[in-house]
Amino acid sequence: MAARPTALRKTGRVLLYLGMIAAAAGILLPFAWMVISSLKTNNQVFTAPIEWVPDPFRWSNYVDIWIKGDMVTWVRNTMTVSVVVTVLQVVTGSFAAYGFAKTRFPGRDALFLLYIGTIAVPWASYMIPQFQMLSSWGLANTLYSIMLLQAFGAFGVFLMKQYYESIPDSLCEAARIDGLSEYGIWWRIMLPLSVPALASLTIITFVTTWNDYLGPLIYLRDRELWTIQLGLQRFVGDYNAEHALIMTGSVLSVLPIAIVFLLGQRYFIQGIATTGVKG
Amino acid sequence: MATPVVDNPGALGLPYSDPPQRRAPRTSLKLRNALVGWTFVLPNFAGFAVLTLIPVLLLFYYSLTNWNIFGNADWVGLDNYARLIGDKSFHVALGNTFYYAAFHIPLTIAASLGLALLLNQKLRGAAFFRTVAFFPYVTSIVAVAVVWNMLFSPEYGPINQFIGLFVGGELPGWTVSKDWAMPAVIIVGTWRYMGYYMLLFLAGLQTVPAELHEAARIDGASVWQRFWNVTLPCLRPTMFFVTVMVTIESFKVFDLILVMTEGGPGQATLVLSQYIWQKGFEQFELGYASSVAVVLFLICIGVTVVQFLYNKRRDA
Amino acid sequence: MNRKTIATVGAAAAASLALTACGGGDASSGSEEPDGPVTISLAGWDFASTPEFETLATAYEEQNEDVTVELTEYPAGEEYDTALTADLAAGTAPDVFIVKNLKNYVTFQEGGTLLDISDVAAELDPATGGLEAMAVDGATYAVPYRQDSWLLYYNKALFDQAGVDHPDGSWTWDDYADAAAELTDGIGEDDVTGAYLHSWQSTVQGFALAQTEGATLDSGDFGFLAPYYERQLAMQDEGSQPTYATVTTNELAYQSQFGTQKSAMVTMGSWYIGTLVAEQASGDADEFEWGLAPAPQFDESTTGTDNTPVTFGDPTTMGINAGIDDAKVATAKDFLKFAAGPEGAAALAEIGITPALIDDTVADTVFALDGVPQDDLSRFAYTTHETLPENPVGADTAAIQTILGDLHSAVMSESDPVDDAIADAQERAANEVG
Repeated sequence: MAARPTALRKTGRVLLYLGMIAAAAGILLPFAWMVISSLKTNNQVFTAPIEWVPDPFRWSNYVDIWIKGDMVTWVRNTMTVSVVVTVLQVVTGSFAAYGFAKTRFPGRDALFLLYIGTIAVPWASYMIPQFQMLSSWGLANTLYSIMLLQAFGAFGVFLMKQYYESIPDSLCEAARIDGLSEYGIWWRIMLPLSVPALASLTIITFVTTWNDYLGPLIYLRDRELWTIQLGLQRFVGDYNAEHALIMTGSVLSVLPIAIVFLLGQRYFIQGIATTGVKG
Repeated sequence: MATPVVDNPGALGLPYSDPPQRRAPRTSLKLRNALVGWTFVLPNFAGFAVLTLIPVLLLFYYSLTNWNIFGNADWVGLDNYARLIGDKSFHVALGNTFYYAAFHIPLTIAASLGLALLLNQKLRGAAFFRTVAFFPYVTSIVAVAVVWNMLFSPEYGPINQFIGLFVGGELPGWTVSKDWAMPAVIIVGTWRYMGYYMLLFLAGLQTVPAELHEAARIDGASVWQRFWNVTLPCLRPTMFFVTVMVTIESFKVFDLILVMTEGGPGQATLVLSQYIWQKGFEQFELGYASSVAVVLFLICIGVTVVQFLYNKRRDA
Repeated sequence: MNRKTIATVGAAAAASLALTACGGGDASSGSEEPDGPVTISLAGWDFASTPEFETLATAYEEQNEDVTVELTEYPAGEEYDTALTADLAAGTAPDVFIVKNLKNYVTFQEGGTLLDISDVAAELDPATGGLEAMAVDGATYAVPYRQDSWLLYYNKALFDQAGVDHPDGSWTWDDYADAAAELTDGIGEDDVTGAYLHSWQSTVQGFALAQTEGATLDSGDFGFLAPYYERQLAMQDEGSQPTYATVTTNELAYQSQFGTQKSAMVTMGSWYIGTLVAEQASGDADEFEWGLAPAPQFDESTTGTDNTPVTFGDPTTMGINAGIDDAKVATAKDFLKFAAGPEGAAALAEIGITPALIDDTVADTVFALDGVPQDDLSRFAYTTHETLPENPVGADTAAIQTILGDLHSAVMSESDPVDDAIADAQERAANEVG
C-alpha cells in the first residue's frame, strides 16, 4: 500500500519533467531560429519550408558583425543607458513607493491614480510633444534624453508599492516604536524585505531599456550614440535587409541578459517568509 | 499566531479614513507625516511630472485641435470626438482591441500564475526553467514574429501539419485568414508575456509565509484549499498589480501585432494603438490620433477603477 | 561664389543665375548670397548601404569649393519618415531633406515645412521623371533626383531550360501569366515557380493604377483593380507563383527568390539591377544569365518596342526646409539644381542608381557596369517607359493607400472575394476620406 503513492509520485515527477522539457524546447524555438539564422547567408534566412540546418555553416557572420557594425559602441551605449535607467528607476521608484504605501498625505491616492493613468497612454501618442520639449532643452541626440525618458516611469512605483503592501504594517509600527525614522524603515526594513520585487524590477527595467527601439529611433542620430537595437536596424535597407547579420546581433544582444538572469536567480525567490516575519 | 500575516492593504482605496491617532498634537503630526510622505514621492515625481505628465496633458489638449504635427494646432473643440463616432475603422479597431483583451488577459494571468506556482517549488533545474520562461520576453520581437509566422504558415507550417494528422478538411489559415489571425496573435501574445508576469508573481509568492502553509497542511487542507485560502489572499496586492498591468498592456498592444500581421488581413487585427500610429504618423493627423489615445486612456482608466473598487470590496 | 553653369540652362536659368550671383537682387526669394564659406545640412538615410547622398554631396563640393554639405543620418525604410517628422516638428531638421514617400509630400507642404522652389523646378529639364507631377496649385516644393521604374526581370537560363521563348517586349499581362504557367511546368521542379509576386500592394496596384485609362485614387472608384487581382489570384491558385500566404508567413524575399533561381520572373523596381549585380558578385545570388524586359502591359496598345510601355514608380524628391537660414537658401537651391540635373544624374548612375533624368550618358554608364545584361531589350526596357506615380500627389493619398493596403491583404490572402473587398474599400474611402 505504502509503495504505490511513491511510485505514482515518481511517475508524476517524470511526466512533469518531460512536459517541462518539451515546453522549454517550444519556448526556446524562436531563439533557436535566431541562432540558426545567424549562421546562414542572407538569402538562406527566409525560405519555404524552413531550413533548420544551415548549409554551409557561416561562422563569419560573428566576425562581420564587429566589422560591418560598430558593436562595441552600440553595446557600450546600450549598457550605459540601461544601467543608469535601471538604477534611477529602482531607487526613485522604490523610494516613492514607500511614500505611497506606508505614509499618508492628502491627495496621495489621486496622485497615485495619475501615475497609473499615464501607463494607459501609448507612448507614440505623446512622443512628439515630449520630443519637442527635450529638443528645446538641447537634449535631443544625446544619451541623456533616453535615460530621462525611461527612468521615471510609473511602472516601478506601482510594482514596489504593491509589494510593500504585502509587508505587514505591524513591522513598520514596531520599528517606529524602536525609534527608527521613516527613511530608516525604508532603508533597513523595506529594502531588505523586498529583494524579490527589486530583482524583478531590475531585470524588467533593464530588459525594456536594453530592447527599446522607438525611443532611440526618435532621439538619436549620430553613429557614436547608437544603441544595439538602433544599430541592428541599420542592416535593414530600403529594399534589402541583412537578416543574417541582424540575427547575429540579436543573439549577441540577448546573451548578457540571459547571463544576468541566470546569475540573479536566487534573488527572485528569496522569501521574506524565511526572514522572520511573525504575526 | 495563525491570523493571516498580511495586513489590510487598504491604501488602495480612493478615499481613506484617518486611522485613530493616539499620539500627541494631531495637526502638526499630520503635517509632518504629509511632509515625510512627499519627500519620498518627490524625487520620482519631479521627473515623472516634467517628462511624462506634461506631455500627456498636452496630448489631451491636442485631441481638441486639428494638429498635423507640423505648424500650428487650431482649436476644433470636440470635432475629433464627433468624427470618432462615425469612423468605421475606429469601431473595427475598438472591437478588435476588446477581442484581444478579452482572451489575452485571462490566458496570460492563468499561464503566468501557473508557471510561477510551478517554478516556485524546489525543483531540480527550476532556475533554468525560470530563465527559459522569461526568454520569449527577451528575444527580439522580430525573431518572435518570424518564427511564429513560419509555424503558423498554412501550407508549410508545422502547426497545421500537426493538426492535419487529426483533423480533415480545411485547416486554419492563421495569420493570413481573417477569422484566425486574431487567435494566432493572442496565442503569441500570451506566450510572449507569460514569463514576464510570472516574474512578478514569483516576487509576490515570496511574501506568502511558509508557516501558514505548514499550519494549513497540518489542519488537513488540500492543495487546492491551501492555494485558495492561503496563497491567493497573500498574493492579492500582486494579483491586483498584475491584473491592472495586463489589462492596460493588452488594451495598448501594438508592436506584436505590427510585426506579425500589420493589422491584416484586411483590418482583421487592427487595434487602437496601431490606429493611433496610422492616423498620427502615416497620415499626419496627430490631433485626431490624440483623441483616439484619449479614448484608449479612458477605457483603461475605467477598467482600472473597477478593479480598484472590486479589490477594495474584497479587502473590506 | 563659384558656380558652374548647368547644361540645361534656359532663359529662366540665366535670369536666376544672374540674380543669385549678384546676391539678393530678387525680392521674392529674399535670399542673400553669402560671401564666405557656406555649410548646408542634408538629411539622408543609412549611409553604409545608401551611398547616393555622399556621392551627391562630394560631387557638389568638388565643384563648389566654399560649400560644405554636411550629412545627417536617419534610418532607412519608413523609420526615415518617423524620425524626420519628429525633427521637423521640433525645428531641428536639416536644411535640405529628402521627401522620401511621395504620399507625404502634400502633408509636408501643407504643414509649411517645405520652401517654394518653383524657380529651381523651372530650370530643370522637363524630361526629368516625375517633375511635372510635383506641382501643388502651380508651385513646386520638391524636385525629383531619382526615379525607379518597375521592370520585368527574367532568368534566361530557366527560360531556356523550360523551352519558353524569352520576352520580346510585346507582352500583356495575359502573356505573362501564360509564360509563368509554362515555365512552372517546363522547369518541373517542386520549389521552382515561373513567377514571383512580392507581398507589397504596389506589385498589383501600382500597375493597375498606371496602366488603366482614367484610373485615379481620389475618384474613390477602385473597380480598375479587379482584373489585375483576378489574374494574380488565378496565378497563385494554379501554382505558377508562391501564394501570398507563403510569401508573408515565410517572409520570402524577392532577392533570394529570383537570385537563387526559385522563380524565373519577377517584376520589380529598377533599384534591383544594382542589388542583383552586387549579389551575383558576392555569391549571395547564383551565377546565371538574366535580362530586363518592359513590364507587361494592360493591352496591346502599348506593347512592342515601337511603343512606350507604361509602368509605375515614385520619384524620390528633395526639398528645402522652410526653417532654413535665409543666408543659405541660394546655396541650397543650387544644390538641388545640381542633384536633379544631368551632373547629379551622371554621378548617381555611376553608383548604379537610376536618376530621375535618364539620358544617354546615364544609360551608357549603367550598362557599362559589370554584370548588367547587354541585350537590346534590356536597354530598351531601362530607357524607354512612361512612368506614372504609385502615389499621385494629393492630400488624401496617404489615407487612401492605407485603405488599399487593407484591400490587398484581404484579397491576396483570399479572405475576401475581389468584388467584396473593392466595394468595402470604396465604402471606407467615402466614409473616411475627405
